[in-house]
Amino acid sequence: MSSIVTTTVSERRIPVLPERGRISWFELALLAISLALVVSGIAPSLRDVILLSFLFAGLALAWNIAGGYAGLISFGHSAFFGVGAYTSTILLTRYGISPWIGIWAGAVIAALFGAVLALICARLRGPFFILSTLAFAEVVRIIALNWASLTGGPEGLSIPPMSSLSGMVFASKETYAALMLGYLVFVYAITKGLEASRYGYYLFAIRDNEDAASAAGVNPLLGRALAMALSAALTGIGGSLFAQYFLYLDPTYVISPELSFQFALLPAVGGLGTAIGPVLGSFLITPLSELLRSYLGNAAAGLHLVIYSFGLIIVMLYFPAGLAGALNKLKRGRPVP
Amino acid sequence: MSALLEVRHVSRSFRTTLAVNDVSFAVQPGELLGLIGPNGAGKSTLFTLIAGVLPPSSGQILFEGKPVTGWKAHDMARIGVARTFQIPKPYRQLSVIENVMLSAFLREKSIAGSRKLAEATLADVGLADYAGSPASALTVGLLKRLEVARALAMRPKLVLFDEIMAGLTPTEVGAMTKFVAELPARGITVIWVEHVLYAIMKTATRMVVINRGKQIAEGTPALMARDPAVVKAYLGEEMILA
Repeated sequence: MSSIVTTTVSERRIPVLPERGRISWFELALLAISLALVVSGIAPSLRDVILLSFLFAGLALAWNIAGGYAGLISFGHSAFFGVGAYTSTILLTRYGISPWIGIWAGAVIAALFGAVLALICARLRGPFFILSTLAFAEVVRIIALNWASLTGGPEGLSIPPMSSLSGMVFASKETYAALMLGYLVFVYAITKGLEASRYGYYLFAIRDNEDAASAAGVNPLLGRALAMALSAALTGIGGSLFAQYFLYLDPTYVISPELSFQFALLPAVGGLGTAIGPVLGSFLITPLSELLRSYLGNAAAGLHLVIYSFGLIIVMLYFPAGLAGALNKLKRGRPVP
Repeated sequence: MSALLEVRHVSRSFRTTLAVNDVSFAVQPGELLGLIGPNGAGKSTLFTLIAGVLPPSSGQILFEGKPVTGWKAHDMARIGVARTFQIPKPYRQLSVIENVMLSAFLREKSIAGSRKLAEATLADVGLADYAGSPASALTVGLLKRLEVARALAMRPKLVLFDEIMAGLTPTEVGAMTKFVAELPARGITVIWVEHVLYAIMKTATRMVVINRGKQIAEGTPALMARDPAVVKAYLGEEMILA
């Protein structure tokens, strides 16, 4: 058999994309620093910030599976966060079931919510899809507010602050930091595994061109539903951990557009559709927003939001591929997807 | 020998427009069927019906004797029908080889296996040098080859080529023609829509001509070039075989 004549590679250099699924030295270094921060007895004033940076990095990674890999930009992920948080908390406070089990129950229910959302929005694309996810979370929030017999309504739910391992309540923030880092590493490992597997490629295909994906034998609707379910499940786990740390839940905070936007924002700043991006996004943005709020929150109400927003605009303008894209450019002198 | 694909009285309308009007033909295994017709004749619509992108408004489609009317595109892909897109639809953020691997996954489930099949396919269509490049960096001519590579990496029984010559240089057209002509010998049956007529006239074993959604002629290329209805509708005054 003959081949089509190969034209010689043109003079202009065509960039080469890096291979997927490899663990880089940069990632290992970041993990080492994170571990060091956990075990070294962090400065008390920074403990909250570090711990939240880990938690939100995990949540940003979870969002990124739907938003970055499958192209399902969702502004409704706080619904899954809330479902996870409420499930484990209700199981604990009502039925005495350990959060170590309740977390997985929350993940399963959040996954179902995610799959249902993807199926409801099967035919919607672009802004219509985004708005529907926003509306979906509003519906979940309003249900949570009004179904007081289950959720405690607007008064919320409290977890008794008695530290115990089986109750997943700890006296030391270092333990919580280790827990959140564990969550981050768990979601990161799943993300890397997905990147290097056939299923990850299916999501990329659905994101980049749905017609081509179905012509290659990929069922786009199934792919979208599974991506959303996995993303929702991992977000739900984050919600349960959040509940175990704050020991208090109410619908207006855990199921809010603000929280949904935050989940979407961190990967956007860090680099959509990359594994390291959401982590970098959280490590930059979470401390920034927490510190700005604590330093400026009292002095000039709202000023921290102004500074924060300007920072975001600068990142969006000058690093459209996010921090991960900027880093790669530095390293290789070429852009990365 | 039973037909690989059979299209029976297939029609498709969009609101008041009848894009495909009662078209019937059969393709035997190992054939290279040319499907020609003027712009807007309904060739691409017919392809989308066979590929399962849209269901026909009426009529039946059979693949290997099995009714597949109304099947989804991904189901058609799985039973061995591959197609290219007239306007290339690459996965822009993926590399060239990853684009092809996604098709290869249909037959090779492992990453390593699909990479091997994709590499072989890229070498086949002359894209090996671009394997690691992002698909968004390719020129139109190269994107057309990528379309062909993606279709062939599925190891299809039947492949639908939709104007894979458009935008190619004369040298490339020659090479591509030779390449397509050899596919039936490799066990791949071809239905080919093409505007570069001398290429298709030279290679097709049989042709179906449609105009305004209706089938107006069917036969060997030589016969088609002399058919008065075809000449009038499509080829103009006369046709000189290349």
